[in-house]
Amino acid sequence: METQLVLEKWAGAIYTLSIGANKEEGGSRGNTVKIGGESSLPLLFKEGNIPNLPAVAFEVWDTPPQDWDEGLVCAYGDVLHDPFAWADKCVREFKAKLLCVRMQGSHPDYGNKGPQEAAKFISTLLSKVNVPLIIIGCGDDAKDNLILPACSEAAKAERCLIGCAIQDNYKTLVASVLADGHNIIAESPIDINIAKQLNILISDMGLSLERIVINPTIGALGYGLEYAYSIMERARLAALSGDKTLASPFICFTGQEAWRTKEAKSGPDHGVIWEVITATSLIQSGADLLVMRHPKAAEKVLAYINTLFKK
Amino acid sequence: MQKFKVTFMPDNKSVLAEKDRTILSAAISAGVYVNSVCGGDGVCGRCKVILKKGQVSTQPNGIITAEERKHNIYLSCLTNIHSDLEVEIPESSRLSFDSLTPSQVGERLGSLYSKAEDIQPVNAKFKEGLFKHSPFATKLYLELPTPTLDDNAGDLERIYRALRQLGDFPVIQTGLFNIRQLGELLRDSEWKVTVTLGKRNDTVEIVLVEPGDTTDKNFGFCFDVGTTTISGQLVDLNSKKILGTKATYNQQATFGNDVITRIVYAGQSDGLERLHEAVCNTMNQIIRELILEHNIDLNDVNCVVCSGNTTMIHLLLSVDPAHIRKDPYVPTANFLPVLRAAEAGISINPRGLLSCVPGVSSYVGGDTTAGVLSSGIYQKDELCILIDIGTNGEIVLGNKDFLVACAASAGPAFEGSGVTSGMRASNGAIQKISIDKTGFEVKYSSIGDKKPKGICGSGYIDLLSSMLEAGIIDKGGKIKAAGRRIRQTDTGKEFVVCFKEETDISSDIVINEADIENLKRSKAAIYSATAILVKHLGLCFTQISRIFIAGGFGTYLDIEKAVKIGLLPDLGLAKFSFIGNSALAGASQILLSNQAMTMANNIASRITYFELSVDPGYMDEYSQALFFPHTDLTKFPTVKF
Repeated sequence: METQLVLEKWAGAIYTLSIGANKEEGGSRGNTVKIGGESSLPLLFKEGNIPNLPAVAFEVWDTPPQDWDEGLVCAYGDVLHDPFAWADKCVREFKAKLLCVRMQGSHPDYGNKGPQEAAKFISTLLSKVNVPLIIIGCGDDAKDNLILPACSEAAKAERCLIGCAIQDNYKTLVASVLADGHNIIAESPIDINIAKQLNILISDMGLSLERIVINPTIGALGYGLEYAYSIMERARLAALSGDKTLASPFICFTGQEAWRTKEAKSGPDHGVIWEVITATSLIQSGADLLVMRHPKAAEKVLAYINTLFKK
Repeated sequence: MQKFKVTFMPDNKSVLAEKDRTILSAAISAGVYVNSVCGGDGVCGRCKVILKKGQVSTQPNGIITAEERKHNIYLSCLTNIHSDLEVEIPESSRLSFDSLTPSQVGERLGSLYSKAEDIQPVNAKFKEGLFKHSPFATKLYLELPTPTLDDNAGDLERIYRALRQLGDFPVIQTGLFNIRQLGELLRDSEWKVTVTLGKRNDTVEIVLVEPGDTTDKNFGFCFDVGTTTISGQLVDLNSKKILGTKATYNQQATFGNDVITRIVYAGQSDGLERLHEAVCNTMNQIIRELILEHNIDLNDVNCVVCSGNTTMIHLLLSVDPAHIRKDPYVPTANFLPVLRAAEAGISINPRGLLSCVPGVSSYVGGDTTAGVLSSGIYQKDELCILIDIGTNGEIVLGNKDFLVACAASAGPAFEGSGVTSGMRASNGAIQKISIDKTGFEVKYSSIGDKKPKGICGSGYIDLLSSMLEAGIIDKGGKIKAAGRRIRQTDTGKEFVVCFKEETDISSDIVINEADIENLKRSKAAIYSATAILVKHLGLCFTQISRIFIAGGFGTYLDIEKAVKIGLLPDLGLAKFSFIGNSALAGASQILLSNQAMTMANNIASRITYFELSVDPGYMDEYSQALFFPHTDLTKFPTVKF
């Protein structure tokens, strides 16, 4: 006798969000990336629809990273000193479908570039590569409130994903994203309630919940991975049970977190392994978008996605 | 009856007193405070006085030494007046709070010390005649037959006999103090005396025998001893009339805002003593002001009923509360016997009685029992909830079949403490606020229509709700708008409710982001405790028929706005009743009726205590409620901003 699987029926679904606008949509991107849309937990194809695969974005900086580990520096080589060449290498050589550019050069401690310079950088980047962009601020609230609106305006109509809005600083970014037709990343400190509160606050300003991606903040393997995992799982269960205020896709900065660990730097390929394990674990708790650093890790994770998500 | 003039030094206050009254009793009538820990039993030796002029009779005791006797030192409680007297009260016999100079008071209590202020109690709608009028202390005037050779019963038996003819008193007790006085007192007053009877648990005690007929003067006090606020009420026990109500901040606040810090403080050297002194001072201050205003002799105040949370009652009685905060959280006593008020340091008639409303557990005290009593939920058929919004919020769920209670540490914000412009619900407190959506202009009304001095709890509820509606703050409680009333300060943004010129104080009345955060935590604690209690019993809010809201909010509370900010569940206004200070109302019922006292004992033993801290869901519920109104908007379907 065949065993009958007990299937869960879900009332809700995650919003589908697309990053990048092609010519028909008023932008200039060669491709767009759709994330979200699932109405079941990851990989449980019988319980609901999983229309989009988890996506991988390559992390690129607007300034040469000063403290990146040897493993990463070797993988990219000289292009790390030229952000445009770096972006180009990701697209051409590593077949990146999505770039995540961090405006680190605007940070007061890393070059302190102004909003005009930042806007010019984004315009140039958009002309040099044709994949969709995720734009991340430098992490200094006051500075981000100056440069992100400029970047947002420079990328108007390209439907980027811009972040990160946080509970104490979201209004400026929400206003720009609304004006320029982008999507937003709402970051919360591994806290399901703050994630939810921030989504409500952002949607109260008129930016619909369908345009929000949650950055739940994660920890790498051995550094709180399971904590992030369970918070994401709880949020996802709430969303699938019908809570629309949590029904946003997740973005996880796996590269950044994995390469911060001392284990990543303790031997050849350790960082790659650390990044792969962190990313693949989080995919199982519902990650929709992974921002990665090492091309080899990205390749492995993409292979993993393509294998497991093949229905 | 012969009366003599007794003058007390150094106060230089005089009073006329009947022959054979004690010096202590005369001192109390004169408003001169003399220490008396034993309540006139002649055992504590704290009430020594120096006789300067006049004739007295005194009883032998082991306290006054031969040396002291030579210097005319007497125990004022055992010494009877036989002529005009001049008496000096030495510093050591004065009640300590009188010895504090105003500057010492200021230094010790800082800005927290304030005069007790009149408050308007909410007229709770009690069923008249629910309990039979049988006050805690009753006065009976007796005209005893003069003893003869045929009727040679003893003096005390003579009183007992007369009493038993008036009513059914199964067990009567009398203190030695009264018996010692009796022989002379009865004869001097020509066998016409007033006997004050007090209910002491299951017995009746002759509290006092006074010459003549004083039955028209029988007063009592009831108190709600709160962590932040102490409210007291003077009641005429004959007419059941409430003569006055006053409230003031608990002076213990200098030693910490919540019960836990106070318990910790009590463990330090002198800590318990200081906390005890602070609460007594506060209560005595209320007593003193009310009797002066109503021109009442302190000797005619014969009893006090206190409702308060368990920690407050421990501190009032100088009982170490240490075990309340230690696992498994057991108090020294929930049910306390009737005591003499003087033993606790409360200055009324030194023989007067003190009853504390029985509590349920360490964190659900007699104030909750009194609240259940006055709200009447213990006799309802339908499911009810009583929410007492205070520093220690308490929630009781149940009906005539069962009662379950839990406590939520909400903090003092809704009592107007710990917030920038907060104040009690007294004259000059802003209690109603509306804000215009375009220009953010503020309309408000204050208690007594006085120039505003600050904002009270109900004012804060109105204010938060109006700020949300006008879009001045976001749902997280951050000020997001700009305008002439919104200012940036070092500690964040603030909103000006009233500019200095409109106020009765020398500064603007404002609310800042830290205040909002405080209020948000308070409301989250109350809401989540209620939600968990309902959930724990396998119920949902829709099954609840009635919700009683209690708290020191003055006379006004806008339930709709309290729902809008997420303090109360969204269940339709028809289900809510605001009943004001239910703990005080319950205490006054107990003061006036022995039946109510019996019922309070019954209620306290029926309530099941539910410990929130062991419920794993509590923290989740609490953090979900840290938002206006709540992160789960489906729980507040009617709230729209």
